Order: sequence, then structure tokens, then C-alpha cells
Amino acid sequence: MTIVVAYKYAANPQDASVGSDGRIDWSRAKETVSEYDPVAIQVGRQLADAAGSELVGITVGTTAANSSLARKGALSRGLDRAVIVADDAVRDWAPTRVGSVLAALVERIGDAAIVLTGDASVDEGAQVMPTVIAGYLGWPCFLEVISVAQTADGWELVQAHEGGTRTIALAGAAVVSVTTDATEARTPGMKDILAAGKKPAEEVALADLDAAEVDLTVTAHSRPATKAREHQVFSGDDAPAQLVAALRSVGVL
Amino acid sequence: MTNTWIVAVSPQISALIDTGRALGGTVTAVVAGTDPSRFLGVDRVIAIAAPEGVPAEALAPSVASAVAAQAGDVVLVANRPSERVLAGAVAAKLGAPILTGAKVIGKETAEISRYGGVTQQTISLAQPVVLVVDGGTAPSGNAAASETVQAEPYAATVTSTDASSVAQVNLSAAKRIVAVGRGFKSEADLQLAKDLAAAIGADLACSRPIAEGSGWLARDRYIGVSGQHVAPDVYIALGISGQLQHTVGMTDSRVVVAVNSDEHAPIFAGSDYGIVGDIYTVVPAITAAVK
Repeated sequence: MTIVVAYKYAANPQDASVGSDGRIDWSRAKETVSEYDPVAIQVGRQLADAAGSELVGITVGTTAANSSLARKGALSRGLDRAVIVADDAVRDWAPTRVGSVLAALVERIGDAAIVLTGDASVDEGAQVMPTVIAGYLGWPCFLEVISVAQTADGWELVQAHEGGTRTIALAGAAVVSVTTDATEARTPGMKDILAAGKKPAEEVALADLDAAEVDLTVTAHSRPATKAREHQVFSGDDAPAQLVAALRSVGVL
Repeated sequence: MTNTWIVAVSPQISALIDTGRALGGTVTAVVAGTDPSRFLGVDRVIAIAAPEGVPAEALAPSVASAVAAQAGDVVLVANRPSERVLAGAVAAKLGAPILTGAKVIGKETAEISRYGGVTQQTISLAQPVVLVVDGGTAPSGNAAASETVQAEPYAATVTSTDASSVAQVNLSAAKRIVAVGRGFKSEADLQLAKDLAAAIGADLACSRPIAEGSGWLARDRYIGVSGQHVAPDVYIALGISGQLQHTVGMTDSRVVVAVNSDEHAPIFAGSDYGIVGDIYTVVPAITAAVK
């Protein structure tokens, strides 16, 4: 049995620059293991330790995803090994197509009992990748999961649901996205980073995997119009009073 | 003719129906594991029936089989966790793109806001596309002809439910919002923001760390790329730095106010009015000035 974590090596769009034509220049934005994925890796580590099984990370990204820095960044967070697809062709792929390749990696590992993901990626923030992976695997998928425990025939999940929680018992394998506070992600120390250099990371060529054909045609890019703002800053002791007066004068109080 | 397929668990889908009507074709709702009679105002309902206690997510394969979208059709799904799972299953089955952040959905193209709203893409709808968007409220209109398909669910059961003692809020309809961020040092200190909200009749919201991690407010009160998207008349950000992942959820607000001790906080760049100062002294002073 293997515990799998799907992670993304991505940059924060806040650090990217956008041209007047709406095209993004990512060259100055530094990629890292996406913001919430370390939480999923840590949940996976706990499950793998409890079951005495292996924790394998999978990712599909540009060539940067297989840089030494990227591999260490992921492996130092607690993975036993990583299986990586790193190809610049995927940059403009529809998320559905990327999901089909992640699913193909899960099938290649063969004995995965669960695929964990973080809550959302730092760049797209769409919260759909686990659902697509599950769609291709033909496995059930649950999002916003607070805790995961293994049972005799599958998993017990506690899920945030309509403001409260619910507990779900499921038989067999599943794709599970964990909340950002499902556990505390560990910050890797020097020892972890050195150990990560010795852990195996296998690169799989895109050509060796069966990627779904997904037609996403982008016909135009544009830079969204930003709303004009007043940019008025009040100062001094009567700043609060000036603020309230301003809000009343524009009719919102 | 663009036909619309709506995949739903909750009947809060009025915005999806409005989009489907504007597109002009047939609007079909594929409803997973819930009473189909509440899905008013569509042309046709396909109810995926499941035994009691089976979570909607477990019906994904049956839902995906029921959505027979053809070239040119659009699949609309409300952006809620159970429904996103169904959307992903449909996208995988159709080999269709799945995208969030649609701003405009037309007959031939859609405008999609991507990467935290820094860019907008126009995409072709010549092939089926699954769009995950805000669902809206409960629909009105006539009950549609309904057919029932017995589901073949995954082996999953809801074994217990712990309902929240906190009432759910609908921030998307709020006219005034007071939002709190990491500038607040303890949960008790949120009272300062609650007092201001009470004084001006505003709803309380927050940035992500306040709802997750610290858990001071419920998850449905956090504003951001993967949280709530709001557009009130006035949005008052208290102790919120203004990271992109937060501001994308409130950028359509009519008037934005920021109070922050850091004059370089990015929140000021997107604000109409600001006060650089300590929220612990400024916020009570604003509340007093209102009164």
C-alpha cells in the first residue's frame, strides 16, 4: 500500500508581472511547493507512519518542477520519494489534462490507497484538481477534509460541511483534499534538506503517460480593468471623524 | 443553440439558471441525491437518486453519465465543495476544461479571470466546458418535468453529522462588510470590529488565517480566491495586509476602506479611504464617530 500526495510547484501570481496585453511574465516569480501542499504532505506522513507504508509525492509541472531545488523542497517535507513529470508543454494545458496525467502517475505507482492534495494551489486557486484526478481514476473524492484515519477496508474522513462537520466512512481508495489547518506543516530543517538530497526522485516523460485530449482554446488575453480608487489617507486625531464624514458624503453609511 | 447543463446538490442555483436562460437553449439540471422538486425554473430535471446516508460526492459517476453535453453546450456548477467534486467527474468524463472565475459567459466565448485575477482570458465554447461559478439563491419558477435515475454510488456513507451552532451567513448579499485580518492579536479583540459592525449594520468577514488556523470566525466568513467573493457598498478592511489572494474576493466592492499600521500594506493601493494607525485605537474611534 502506498500513500500518495499530489503537489504543485508553482509561483504566486502576486510576484508575476502582467503586460498591458494581459499576458503574464512569470520569470521574476519564484516557484515553490505550493502554499498549502506541505499540509497535505504532513497528513500523508502521519498516515504512512501509522500504516508503515511508503509516502510518494507526484507532481506535473514545467521543467522547473524537476530542478534540484524543487525536488529538495518537496522531499524535505517528509516524502519518501517523488515521481515527477517536468515538461514546459504543460504550462498552457487545461487543468483537466494535467489531472489526467496525475491520475496516470497514480496508476503507475499501482498500489495507492489514497491520494491527498492541499486545499488550493497558490497560482490558480481553483480547488478542482483533486476532483479531476478522481474523475480519471474512477475513485470517490472529498474536499475540505479536516482529518483522515485508515480503517479495515478504507478510510474515515471528517469533513467541513455546511458550517459544521460530517463523518464519512468509505471503502477502498479515494482522493482527499485536506483543509489548510488539517495539521501543522513542519518547516524542514537543515537535516531534512540534506536527507532530501539522498531520496529518490524519478522523472517520467510525458510521452510515456496517457494524457487526455482536452481542447481549451484561449482566443484572447486581457489585463483586467482595475477599479479607480480615491486613495485618500486621513491622518491626525480626527482621522476617524474625517473617514466617517467621507463615507457619509458618498452615501455608504 | 447553446444548451446548459447544471449540476447541483443544493437548489441555490438561480445565477446558473439566469446564465442558461441568457444563452437561450434548453436548461437541464442534473440533481444529485436530493429532492428534485425544489429545482424550479429549469426545463428538465434529471434526479440521481441514492439511498439515505450516501454523500452526494459518491454519486459522481452517475452524475457524469447523465450529463450528455454536446459540442457548444456549457456545464455550470455552483462553487461549493460537494458540487466541485461532481464538476471534476463531469470534466474528466467529457474531456472538457474545468474553469473557475468566469466573469462573462456568452454563446461562443467566456471571459475567465485567472491566476488570482491578474489576467483575463477569453476562451472558446465550441467544445463543452465545465464552468464553476457562484450559484446564487434558491430559484423561482415552475416545476420542470423530472426523470429519476437510480445511482450506482461509490461505497461511502455519512456516519454522523455535527451541525454548526453558528448560523450560516450569505455575505454575497451584504451591503456593508467589516473584515478583520491578522492585525488582531487575539480572538477577544475581535470585539472592536464587532462593535463597529453593529454600529453601522455591517456583516463581519475576515481574511483566511482568521477562519482557518486560528478558527476565530467560521469558514464561510473568509473572503478570498477560494473563499467568498463579495461586492458590498462599503468594505472596511481592518488589520488586513491585502495579499492578492484576499483582494480578489472583494475587489468589486463600491467603496473600500483600510485601517492598517503598515503604510506600505498593499491594501492601501486598492482603497478609497485609509487610516494608517493602530487598529486598537483607530477602530473604537471610528465606532465612536459613527455614533
